[in-house]
Amino acid sequence: MSSHLSELDLVMMADGELPARRKAEADAHLASCWSCRERVASLEATITGFVRARNLELNEQLPSAAGPRALLRARLEEAARERVPFSIGRLAGAGAVFAGVCLLALVIFGTTVNAEGPKPKFGITPGETHPITIAEVCRNPEAVVVARDIPEETRRKVFAAYGIRSPGRDQFEVDYLITPDLGGTESIRNLWPEPYSARWNARVKDKLEQRLHQLVCSGKLDLATAQHDIAVDWIGAYKRYVGTEASR
Amino acid sequence: MAADKPNSLTGFSFARAEAAAMRPSRLEDEVVALFDQLRAPVLRYLLSFGIALADAEEIVQEVFMALFQHLRQKKSRANLQGWVFRVAHNFALKHRLKSRRQAERFSYVPDLSATTEDRGPDPEESVAASQRQQRLLSVVRALPEQDQCCLSLRAEGLRYREIAEVLGISLGSVAASLEKSLSRLTRAEQI
Repeated sequence: MSSHLSELDLVMMADGELPARRKAEADAHLASCWSCRERVASLEATITGFVRARNLELNEQLPSAAGPRALLRARLEEAARERVPFSIGRLAGAGAVFAGVCLLALVIFGTTVNAEGPKPKFGITPGETHPITIAEVCRNPEAVVVARDIPEETRRKVFAAYGIRSPGRDQFEVDYLITPDLGGTESIRNLWPEPYSARWNARVKDKLEQRLHQLVCSGKLDLATAQHDIAVDWIGAYKRYVGTEASR
Repeated sequence: MAADKPNSLTGFSFARAEAAAMRPSRLEDEVVALFDQLRAPVLRYLLSFGIALADAEEIVQEVFMALFQHLRQKKSRANLQGWVFRVAHNFALKHRLKSRRQAERFSYVPDLSATTEDRGPDPEESVAASQRQQRLLSVVRALPEQDQCCLSLRAEGLRYREIAEVLGISLGSVAASLEKSLSRLTRAEQI
């Protein structure tokens, strides 16, 4: 290679992307050309300067990974308990007849599950409380069930977290898992989309919240247990504290 | 994280109690190991996309949840790093479409003046270094979006073929983009 290396050759060479034959020619040229070696050095200095400036700026913004890792771990555990999502690739491998049977079963089973209504997912909505005293909980004679205004941005995040696109206002209530009357926060970790149409819906949960408020304020149930039970399995809590079936 | 703090009155932490009761399985461990390896590079890429840190963290979570489902369904394990960046890039594009405010800015170069003070023992050297960094990053900020993406992905260690797959462009376009960007940066260095 007698002529000087092009800028593209230099960049690809610096990145180890030149094809072997061309690289051999470039190496031979560099061995005899001080000018191109100076250009290589200049390019390396530019890359070093850019990477240093970029990392200096961005690395300072990165918080510790501990919290996000713990959240991811919890979400993965939750996801692992769920069924493997529908996969076109796997379905194709299994054969069309088998796929049809599976799909039918999935539709039937899925419908049955949906009739109960989706439950809050632990990885997304584990429940979150702020410190609150019994006196504060019991300031009102009964739980306030009027839905508080949840910011639109928060609502969008909740729907996005649950993979719900274009939700209608009359379809879901973005509801507190642990009601604010029992110390629940307005964090998305305490909010989830609760369908009005399901048997176990937002209005049914309101009854449970009233009942728990009543039990806590009458001293028959401690606040921590109430918070725990409604967060871990609110339907189970309803059956235990209100009755065995949902009544609207 | 607030949810991991016990309620100071009840002493109860839902997240911690539930997490303690859970035993990790192999696939989850593998995804968490990949998260440990790739979180910082992906976060840096998303920040360079002009996405706010809190939103970038959420996107990273979604990327690794998607990776878990990808692996769970026995899909291809070839080049998982490239796969992670490609999904992160697509999430970033969707995020930006949703947010007009973020769509209007594409820069990972906020004001460096506040962060580069007092770094070196010599104030003059420190100022000179800071000015050099600002000059370089302002050149990057002026580049077309695709060139910024190429440069950022290359800075995170992706090969040309991987960058081409992430951005959906040809190998030649990646090489040409990097050549153009580095030429501009070199010229800025020589001023």
